[in-house]
Amino acid sequence: MKSYFFQFILIITLPVQIFAKDYYVYCAAESEDEVALIRFDGKKAYVEKRIQVGVWPVEIEGPHGITISPEGDYWYLSMAHGTPYGHLYKYKTGTDEMVDRVELGLFPASMEISNSTGLLYVVNFNLHGSHEEKSTVSIVDPEEMIEIDRVETGVMPHGSRLLNSGMKHYSVAMMSGELFEIDAMRMAVSRKILTKPANNKNQSMHNMSHKNMKKMDHSHMMSNSDKKGMAEMGHKMPPEKPTWVYPHPNDKFVYVVNNGTDNVVEVDVDNWKITRTFNTDKGPYNCEVSDDGKFLVVTYKTAGKLGIWNLKTGKEVAKFKNSRKITHGVVISPDSRYAFVSVEGIGKEPGAVEVFDLVKLKSVALAEIGKQAGGIAFWKMDN
Amino acid sequence: MKNFLYILLSSALLFAQEKKKDTFLFEFEQDSLEINVGEEKQITIRLLNEDGDLAQNPFYVFGQRKALSASPRISDSTGLAVVTVKAFKPGRAYLRTRTITVNRNDRISDRLLINVPYPPLDRIVFDKMPKKLYAGTVTSFEVEVFDKANLSRPDADVVLKSSKNSVASFDKFMNLEAKKPGKITVTASVDGVKKSFKVNIVKNPTQKITINSNVAEIRTGDVLNMNAKALDKRGKVLNDVPLNYSYTGQADYGTFGLPTSGLITDDGRFVAETAGMYTLSASSAGFSSQKRVKVVPRNVEKKIKLIGHGLITDVFTSDLWVWPGIGKHEGKDFAVTGTWGANGEAYFWDVTDPTDMKIIDTVTVDARTVNDVKISEDGKVGVITREGASNRKNGFVILDVSDPYDVKIAAAYNDDMTGGVHNAFIYENHVYAVNNGRKYDIINIDDPYNPRRVGVYELDTPGHSIHDVWIENGIAYSSNWADGIVAVDIGAKKFDEADRSSLQYNPLLAKAGQGSPSNPVKLAELEDPTGRNHAAFPFLSKSTGKFYVIGGDEIFPWGIGALKDEPSNPRGGYHFLNFSDPENPVEEAIYQVPEAGSHNMWIVGDTLITGNYQGGLRIVDISGELLGDIYKQGREIGVYLSLHENGRIPNSPMVWGAQPYKEYIFFADMNSGLYCIVIENEEKTEAP
Repeated sequence: MKSYFFQFILIITLPVQIFAKDYYVYCAAESEDEVALIRFDGKKAYVEKRIQVGVWPVEIEGPHGITISPEGDYWYLSMAHGTPYGHLYKYKTGTDEMVDRVELGLFPASMEISNSTGLLYVVNFNLHGSHEEKSTVSIVDPEEMIEIDRVETGVMPHGSRLLNSGMKHYSVAMMSGELFEIDAMRMAVSRKILTKPANNKNQSMHNMSHKNMKKMDHSHMMSNSDKKGMAEMGHKMPPEKPTWVYPHPNDKFVYVVNNGTDNVVEVDVDNWKITRTFNTDKGPYNCEVSDDGKFLVVTYKTAGKLGIWNLKTGKEVAKFKNSRKITHGVVISPDSRYAFVSVEGIGKEPGAVEVFDLVKLKSVALAEIGKQAGGIAFWKMDN
Repeated sequence: MKNFLYILLSSALLFAQEKKKDTFLFEFEQDSLEINVGEEKQITIRLLNEDGDLAQNPFYVFGQRKALSASPRISDSTGLAVVTVKAFKPGRAYLRTRTITVNRNDRISDRLLINVPYPPLDRIVFDKMPKKLYAGTVTSFEVEVFDKANLSRPDADVVLKSSKNSVASFDKFMNLEAKKPGKITVTASVDGVKKSFKVNIVKNPTQKITINSNVAEIRTGDVLNMNAKALDKRGKVLNDVPLNYSYTGQADYGTFGLPTSGLITDDGRFVAETAGMYTLSASSAGFSSQKRVKVVPRNVEKKIKLIGHGLITDVFTSDLWVWPGIGKHEGKDFAVTGTWGANGEAYFWDVTDPTDMKIIDTVTVDARTVNDVKISEDGKVGVITREGASNRKNGFVILDVSDPYDVKIAAAYNDDMTGGVHNAFIYENHVYAVNNGRKYDIINIDDPYNPRRVGVYELDTPGHSIHDVWIENGIAYSSNWADGIVAVDIGAKKFDEADRSSLQYNPLLAKAGQGSPSNPVKLAELEDPTGRNHAAFPFLSKSTGKFYVIGGDEIFPWGIGALKDEPSNPRGGYHFLNFSDPENPVEEAIYQVPEAGSHNMWIVGDTLITGNYQGGLRIVDISGELLGDIYKQGREIGVYLSLHENGRIPNSPMVWGAQPYKEYIFFADMNSGLYCIVIENEEKTEAP
């Protein structure tokens, strides 16, 4: 009788136990030299820990990109500024103790570890300078923390994601308007394509460059002096300014965010051509596709909003105004239930991680973290 | 139910063990490989299953960037790879392998040691090869070893030998003791590489040593030149006979007469750190001469009086600048302070009455840190630097400060300055902005509303980095971490022999005259082997005419506490680099406060004013010849510890930097804001 009673209790409380998950994300605060560990219990988001990062106390080193090892044992952090080169740091999850670091190129930024090679691919964003030089993707052995090679791509590479197979790596070159595919095994560029939508009516580079300058996201907007300088240098920057790329879980498509022309393009990986264009709100910046393949979630940096797109219909099904003016990154829980969005803030305003329910399509929680919240990575779900 | 769970668990464990048993093994053709730099070798690698057969599973191979390359990077599908390995730098490296599997937990890694020998040694270079030495003297030698790649090899264990130890012999520290007249051959050898030269040991004609100084009493920190000479039996000066110098003595302090402390150099200059009676000695070939010198305390300490304090409690304060008002504000005095890790604010103060300093305007820009603030000499234009801008464009902001009560933003300049401008300087209508930690850009602000870049100065050393730039008389002195101090002509006036001002003692000006803001020309440099060079300030000594550049360190061995609302514990010092010979600058003295950090500095006359972080504000007498450890020589005029109970971090001094202005010294403390002090003429009296 006693055992039946316990079984009964177990059965009636099982759904509660199943759904009472804790979700953990790490989020970097770029102007605070800090990484926050956020726990979301389905209702509220809590800052579990704030981890001070970097080694130069009175300089802003700029933690930018963050990723978790596939096993969840370690988190990796790119530090943008050094003297002069940036670094990749390795920390242990949970204890958050630093394990090692390796020097990379100028302004290492977004990154991911390949499911096939186990290597980490991180772009050297190099947003310094006159935006004429091509930069690279550094390939790092995340166990030994040694840099194996650098693969040259385009000008200001950003976004660094791999197919689920781990065989192909994608990054975009912001100032040369290109999507690059790297063969993860051979460590060499296999293909590249311009990210301009096929039906882009604004064919005139001269006209577009001026027009799009005006509506481009602040983070990449040029001041008058910038424009003058660029004109003097005879630049012909493509207006798309792609900032992110993310593969569909089926590995058949990748989605490229054109920050400069306010759209996301879908690229057919096999045929290597743009198949769809999603016209977005102002200044799309990052994106992620839910693991169930239903939703494309896009951060609109200039608009300070978040857009959720139904990939089947190609329609934006929800749009949310974020709590702060500059929306940055997004990561979706593996159960495709929640989108965790980093929002930077301006000046002394704290950054934030906002949580959105992708089933109910509503904002559900917010946690304030350090200034200029940016890179965000999903760690684990606990029951 | 229990049994069912047991069976389930056992099955899972068994499955796991089976899985573990089914592992692959890498077989390298050799246990290790030796490859010379630039050489390629092939090695066969097999991935075997537990039966010793090829595993029919691919793997990949990789080396290390700039050290070791591997090609191809992937085996064939059977698990076989013939890899060409090429070495790029000497040392130990590893060729790594890792299986390609769907399940990452099944991956197996291995590595092969690749030994890349250092290139064979090529030559040994002596620092000197004298043809003649005197018996009874000791001469120190240094050697440098180079390999075939022309790289210096300090690790080489060089042995120096004399061909006749009875005539002259080496100790293990490369000192050659010449014992008696005779001919020897000195040979340096290491790993089969040799270098020899012949030396004639001659009779030492010295019959007397004289010390030619009438100085009987000096203060701590004063440099006494012993001017010792070796004389032969006829009293003729022997200029080529080496002399040894030493001192003994008893200090004034301590009941038991503690030892004296000082420095005596190879050329016979002596400086004392403690007061007391000293006996200076010069000797050679068994002859010696002594001189007794009384050393008295320097007694330069003065009373420091706090005139006013503008408390900032909610944010960290960064740099400051003080200047006289113009136009309708003529006769008034103003200051600007920046903020650190906050809201991108710069505070403008009316400091006309320094006992009552008031914030009169605040400029807020898109930034988290306004690290540096500068005002033009004419008091019209200000520049504040930006870091942590929300748009990551950073750069600097040009201000119209003609009316400090109503400061206006004239322009924001961020072209090519995304990484942040940490420091800037305004000189003759140009802003010199330290850009991205790589270079300084030179921006013309003839029209502050329309700034334009006219020049850039960037070092060409590998991995160079810059922190700050300071300009005087058309010469930009930049501080560049490991690259040290670099002096650049950005429009210095050509040397004019008709100009009899002391300014012309600056030897860099004699070299200048070709540079301009659009054509910066390097004049001189001195690397910093510690990599800590953070600030630079030129110093033409009024009392000696010597020209120094003072290099300030910055180092936080234990990180910064500010981020955790705790006091910090930095270290560092100020290095006196004598640039009187611009081709051969040399460090001659250091001011380093024990257990305190160093940050920014200013020099007025022969007085150094330093921000020593937790060590407070320090005022130091740097008159006269400078030698050795200035802190220990009692040269400190005053110290002010700017702690405040309501500071951003309470009761914790953290002085950023200072500026002498009129009869005052203004300084900024990170934790508690803006201070104004004065040095009183009255000497500090000792506590009873």
